[in-house]
Amino acid sequence: MTSFCHSCVPLACLVVATIAGCGPQRVSAPVADAAAASAIREGLASTAAVAATGGEAAVVGTGWASLKGRFVFAGDPGQPKPLAVDKDTEVCGKSAKLFDQSLRVDGSTKGLADVVVFVRKSSRVKNPVPDAPQVFDQKNCEFLAPVFTARVGQPIDVRNSDPVGHNTNIDGTSFNQLIPAGQGTTYKPDSEMGAPKTVTCNIHPWMKAYVIFRKDGYVAVSAADGSFTIPDLPAGEPLEFQVWHARATGSGGGVVLARPDLKWNPKGRFVITLQADEAKDLGTLEVPAGSIGT
Amino acid sequence: MGKRLAGIFWSLLFLAVPVLGVATFAIAPAYDHWLPKDVSEHGASIDSLFYFILALTGVVFVVTEVLLFWFMWKYDESKRQGEATYIQGSHTLEVVWTIIPAATLLFLAIYQMNAWADVKMRRPAMSPTVEVVARQFEWRLRYPGRDGTLGTADDLFLVNDLHLPIDEDVLVQLKSMDVLHSFFLPNVRIKQDAVPGMKIPVWFKAREAGSYDIVCAELCGWGHYKMKGRVTFETRAEFDAWLERKYAEQGATQPPPEAADVAAAE
Amino acid sequence: MNTSFATLRSTLLLAVVVAAVGCGKTPPASFRLNMVQATKTAAPESGMEKPWAAWASERQGQVATILEAMYGTPDEPVALAETGLDLAKLQLAAGPVRSDIVGRKNGLYREHCVHCHGISGDGMGPTAAFLNPYPRDYRPGKYKFKGTWRDARPAREDLTRVLHEGVPGSSMPSFALLPPAQVDALVEYVRYLSMRGETELALYTYAEQELGVDDTLPTTKEFLVDEILTPIVEKWQGAEDARIPIASVPTNVDFTKPGDDPANRESVARGRVLFHGDGGCVKCHGVTALGDGQANDYDDWNKVIVEWSKEVSGGLGSAQDDAGRSAWLHAAADVIEGDALRPRTIPPRNLRLGLYRGGRRPVDLYRRLYTGINGAPMPGVGPSGPGGKGSVADAEIWHIVNYIRSLPYEFDGELGADRPMVAKDRF
Repeated sequence: MTSFCHSCVPLACLVVATIAGCGPQRVSAPVADAAAASAIREGLASTAAVAATGGEAAVVGTGWASLKGRFVFAGDPGQPKPLAVDKDTEVCGKSAKLFDQSLRVDGSTKGLADVVVFVRKSSRVKNPVPDAPQVFDQKNCEFLAPVFTARVGQPIDVRNSDPVGHNTNIDGTSFNQLIPAGQGTTYKPDSEMGAPKTVTCNIHPWMKAYVIFRKDGYVAVSAADGSFTIPDLPAGEPLEFQVWHARATGSGGGVVLARPDLKWNPKGRFVITLQADEAKDLGTLEVPAGSIGT
Repeated sequence: MGKRLAGIFWSLLFLAVPVLGVATFAIAPAYDHWLPKDVSEHGASIDSLFYFILALTGVVFVVTEVLLFWFMWKYDESKRQGEATYIQGSHTLEVVWTIIPAATLLFLAIYQMNAWADVKMRRPAMSPTVEVVARQFEWRLRYPGRDGTLGTADDLFLVNDLHLPIDEDVLVQLKSMDVLHSFFLPNVRIKQDAVPGMKIPVWFKAREAGSYDIVCAELCGWGHYKMKGRVTFETRAEFDAWLERKYAEQGATQPPPEAADVAAAE
Repeated sequence: MNTSFATLRSTLLLAVVVAAVGCGKTPPASFRLNMVQATKTAAPESGMEKPWAAWASERQGQVATILEAMYGTPDEPVALAETGLDLAKLQLAAGPVRSDIVGRKNGLYREHCVHCHGISGDGMGPTAAFLNPYPRDYRPGKYKFKGTWRDARPAREDLTRVLHEGVPGSSMPSFALLPPAQVDALVEYVRYLSMRGETELALYTYAEQELGVDDTLPTTKEFLVDEILTPIVEKWQGAEDARIPIASVPTNVDFTKPGDDPANRESVARGRVLFHGDGGCVKCHGVTALGDGQANDYDDWNKVIVEWSKEVSGGLGSAQDDAGRSAWLHAAADVIEGDALRPRTIPPRNLRLGLYRGGRRPVDLYRRLYTGINGAPMPGVGPSGPGGKGSVADAEIWHIVNYIRSLPYEFDGELGADRPMVAKDRF
């Protein structure tokens, strides 16, 4: 050690030791309240008969009705972005260039397509689950339906009309199958989804669609001009509808609108009671620009 | 008076060193703190070398320490009678106490050459019984399979559970997958560093059946302390039967029957 | 220079260093919430009066309290009767490492698993950031290497097998030398951590879907047990019955012989046709099966972070004027930075190495092909559920297995030095 700086070494050690504890810190997470936890635990362990929650008895009416409306987009959708196609380029994007289909707004009518409207809980269903399979196909390395719906228990014929193999991966289900060129396979959903889930292809990562399985089948997807219809809804009971869009900014993908007459709630839901044989028309449902994100 | 007491205290303190040292070695075997059980053929020669060196150094140690105590006791400051003799050093002494240890070392080096050669140089002419690949933090094993050649499609892959036959020469091919490790079988007196990029042969012959430890003896990372395996020595017949069982498990085309039976019974 | 003062100063400074480096008692271990999911599902709604951070923290505190009620703490686990978990096994695995009154070792999870898998089973222990692939996050309840349908939970022997064999090619070691009772205790504790993680996710989903901003999570038995816990437990208890059927091996397949043996030639040829066919195996695994077909996909655990991260950075730009949303997205960004591992892509397996993470037995390869690998992009070629139809007949899958097993040795002797790395050179 030179006579110049006798304390250099300890000083350096101090600096190092202090810095050694630094680094990206884990976010502070809330802790449990131990007393409240034991109270809850006692409640869970009790075998006392639980008093039937006095809540409203489920209102069940008779008859059937239908609901329709039309979604329009008040904002500027911009130009659809082209997708980065870097696999099987001799086939993919050959017949038509591939664009991002997550926000489809009709130029003339401003209709917002691919909005999913479904009933969150219903007491009765008019039509039984059909046996005939619905077709879900892919061609030119894109899924032909950007949003697809099916009923629980209804067979889906998942097809591949391309000359290359695809694997169709439905998130949250047991289905991730390799489908060779020109072939297909059947899938029967066995449980319903609370919100639409993605369908992707792992071989061609730009491919994306949405799918929702519901037990009662009261689901509609808005068409290119933004219009939708749900027939055969149970009349005489309050029905809560969820409105969803792939790029909506509401919680869980809900579309938030200004419709105080429908008591539109911030989660993208509204409640309506239909009369028997009523064909309720919600009119034009304007989706503000802020409700659809990037 | 105080000085004399101090002198007595310090000399007795230094006497405690050889006394406690010898006592520790004397009672350690009773507490099983001694060499691990040796089941190998060459182990006896290694152990006898250890004992020889222990005896040699032990005697020198005791003599030196006792002398130290004696001089501290006899020539304590309180008994000083006049000036101490100042000498410039003794050339004869320097030569004597250089020559004697050097000769001892030379003797030891020559004496142990045979034992070293047996373990590290006289490789038996045989193909490997097993390939051990050290990996952070386990021992991956590869047996040659029915065709007797490593690197073919019928090799048997296992982890941590090494089985070897007794009463035969065994050749282990030692490799490392990542960093330095050391293949240490205490009960067979084998220790060999596994160097990444090298294929190192290790051979020995076990005389007695039983299950013993494989431990890693070269610091290899945070899991070095728990990088343990198990070596099981068994007769050739038992070893072959075990290999057959493992081939069958590795070629399984159905889940093992016990699991399915358990599930059926549930 | 006054040396005694200099020495004193040096010693003093050294003493300060030593004191600064570590003082204080260690707090008892506690579970952490899944902060990524907690923030992801806590979007602010218009018309919230409280500032977002306070509201979210209160909601998360409720979730933490409910989880402690249902599952206890890392030192004192709780197993509700409805979960079917064996509390004695959990107690062996939980808590600090110690011996109990009969001399059995307790604290097994903390001794063997916590440094990689984390105290909450989140795969983010202190060692995790240095490992590739990352340790398993038990909380979503997804497991890769099992013998049940793709979306089903693993059966107990699948978990036992992973503990016994380890996962070759990853940092998961083999625990074959642990006594079976300890392995069983660890398997039970993994199921416990998984159930706890899934309960947490179910509570967040419920809060996001059903609760208004001023509502609190219900803590009644009907809600917590019947609505939240029962579907989770049913999936775990149904795992034993959700095993895939294993087709019998065709007569022209002999797994005791190598791939180029005449007994297997026809089968390996058929497997080669299926592998290189228009199914698409080579699109990811490459025409040479070296796993060089594609390198930009993520497994499910990393994909959640990648996609959420994209949404957050996209939303940050447009949320400048909304205080609640801005606070939410900034908090989400902090969580992604500090409470999640950096996402890594998952490369397709190099089939020439002879290294199979889920096991090298023919039945293991059959299972990977049949259902694919849950949580990974690997698709299945068998049916997706009982009674379904796959893209390859069940018995034909054995030919693909035979071909794959022959791949590491395929060029032995043929091309000589100019050949892909084969299993005999690399283990």
